[in-house]
Amino acid sequence: MLADEIEDEQLESEAQRAKDAKNADSRTGRSPGRVAYDRLKKDKVAVICLVIIVFFILLAVFAPLVVNLQSVDPTTGVRADVGTVHTELIDFNGLPTVGMSSAHWLGVEPRLGRDLFARFAFGARPSLIIGFSAAAASTIIGVSLGLIGGYLGGWVDKTITWLIDFFLSLPLLLVVLAVVPIVQLRIAGGGRLTAEQTSTIRFWVLITILVIFGWMGLARLVRGEVKSLREREFVQAARAIGVPTRQILFKEILPNLVGPIIVSASIAVPTYISFEATLSYLGAGLVEPTASWGRTIADAQNYFEIYPLWLWPSVIGLSVLVLALTLLGDSIRDAFDPTSRR
Amino acid sequence: MLTFILRRVGLAISVILATLVATFVVFFAGPSDPAQSLCPENRCNAERLQAIRVNLGLDRPLTVQFVEYFKGLFVGRDFEFAGATNHCGAPCLGFSYHTGRSVNDELFSRFPNTVVLALMAAVIFLIVGVTIGIVAAVRRGTATDRILIGGSQVFGAIPYYILALLFALYMVTFWRVLPQYSSFSEGPGVYFAGMIAPAFILGLVTSTSYTRYTRNSMIETLSMDYVRTARSKGISERRVLVNHGLRAAMGPIVTILGLDIAALLTGTLITEKIFEVDGIGRRALQALFDDDLPVIMGTVLMAAVIVVLANLIVDIGYSFIDPRVRLA
Repeated sequence: MLADEIEDEQLESEAQRAKDAKNADSRTGRSPGRVAYDRLKKDKVAVICLVIIVFFILLAVFAPLVVNLQSVDPTTGVRADVGTVHTELIDFNGLPTVGMSSAHWLGVEPRLGRDLFARFAFGARPSLIIGFSAAAASTIIGVSLGLIGGYLGGWVDKTITWLIDFFLSLPLLLVVLAVVPIVQLRIAGGGRLTAEQTSTIRFWVLITILVIFGWMGLARLVRGEVKSLREREFVQAARAIGVPTRQILFKEILPNLVGPIIVSASIAVPTYISFEATLSYLGAGLVEPTASWGRTIADAQNYFEIYPLWLWPSVIGLSVLVLALTLLGDSIRDAFDPTSRR
Repeated sequence: MLTFILRRVGLAISVILATLVATFVVFFAGPSDPAQSLCPENRCNAERLQAIRVNLGLDRPLTVQFVEYFKGLFVGRDFEFAGATNHCGAPCLGFSYHTGRSVNDELFSRFPNTVVLALMAAVIFLIVGVTIGIVAAVRRGTATDRILIGGSQVFGAIPYYILALLFALYMVTFWRVLPQYSSFSEGPGVYFAGMIAPAFILGLVTSTSYTRYTRNSMIETLSMDYVRTARSKGISERRVLVNHGLRAAMGPIVTILGLDIAALLTGTLITEKIFEVDGIGRRALQALFDDDLPVIMGTVLMAAVIVVLANLIVDIGYSFIDPRVRLA
């Protein structure tokens, strides 16, 4: 019975393949990027994920405006914002005296009385900025090193390959955990800095370190592709008629790698966001007073029994954002993959 | 073949040496002051702090410290603590600044806990991942396939530490469905019971990637001619799947398992922290918090050696199976 099913399946997939081949004929003249885009538009999961991501981006960009939609708090007499501490909303056990209300959609934070909805909305900012900027920077570095190593060969290539091997065999999380405070001290140590300044420096230190330890995968991929592309006729022809190396790299070789680069960059974004949150949980990530989901989860876990409202918004925000970005990345990979059936 | 092996071994050694130098420079030349963290300024005056530094050998030039450390790794070295001489045999990783125990003891007494956690998780993710992968491959294109693969995709995409944390908070602390971790000295029964929760969540989340590898690998082998031949001979479907399909599909899976050791180490670090398992990862986190340089160096080196060795074994093993690799 199982065998029958599999046979049906095979017949079906052969028919599918024949149909794909026919479609491919009619598709001649469209770039791989265009084909991928058209396939992506038809992918329901991708569209839903994109809507979720756009929602979070809008929330992050317009956080101050959205937070201002909350009404004025009757006890404090002011509208809640992201940083102001309101100890008057806290009882002597450190627990809030107000729950969810029109003034505080998600209640207030135990101990400090800061507005939890504001912390949630502003918390989307560092995650998104870190994810996208670290992905952009590590993509640029990975592609450049891969191109240089793959095209030039020789000792340059050997050095780059060795560096890739070296960075890949470091116990990443452990090293990053150790390096973040050291770099932070080097840059910001000794001076009298305000909490905000320290927090901002930590933010950029984190992005830099994520990039330093995150370029290897793409570099290896690009290097391999370039090594095989440079032996192809069109590249040799370009070299023979004297096209300068830079032009060969960027005009002849790079356009062939757009697919893998976009796929790798889109999968890098959620990886970085998730890594940053893990670092925050383990104590080497973002620091107060920056509102951050990872930081909030670390602080709120001790209160999860008596005040779960503190923990859950950040847990859901982080999970849903990373999930949407990852599934969108998977869809983009499928869209660029000519053998996938979706 | 021999040149390939020699080249790979040479590469592995150079990577480990570079890790040694890099970690030493980063940590020992770094701005952190172990004397300060041992004895904060409000309790110790400058003289006392200096005495601690001299005692730890931190007052000497960095190169001297490095040569001693390096020598200690291969021939052992002697430490002088308050008049008494302490010998530390090779491979000597020094003594913890905080507990005074040798780093080798600190790490090897905890190593079994990490290994038990990783092995239990590996058993879970191999069984769960491979089984679900096979089922999804056999039922390819059906609703079962989509639910299984979609589910594992969703599960694998959520940050691991969030899943583990929620699992620990609710299943262990709040509802007490599963027991908390307790050390081996309290009895093997309690010990292994306490390992169930951390190994379960680590194994379950890791299994998601193996589900996908197995499914893809199985689909590929099941479409091979020899599988069709086996079916046409009238061999039972179960034997076709296990003996012909799975056996061929396991090759790539075992390779990935070897290359995934680094990811598994990261997984145990987070898991140990969340479930308070007394393993190497938790000790390393504590050492980072204390500026306990010898312990940090020891764990980083140990992890690097494990990862490099695992990659080396996979590479060399693979080159026996597939000779084309040697040319790369």
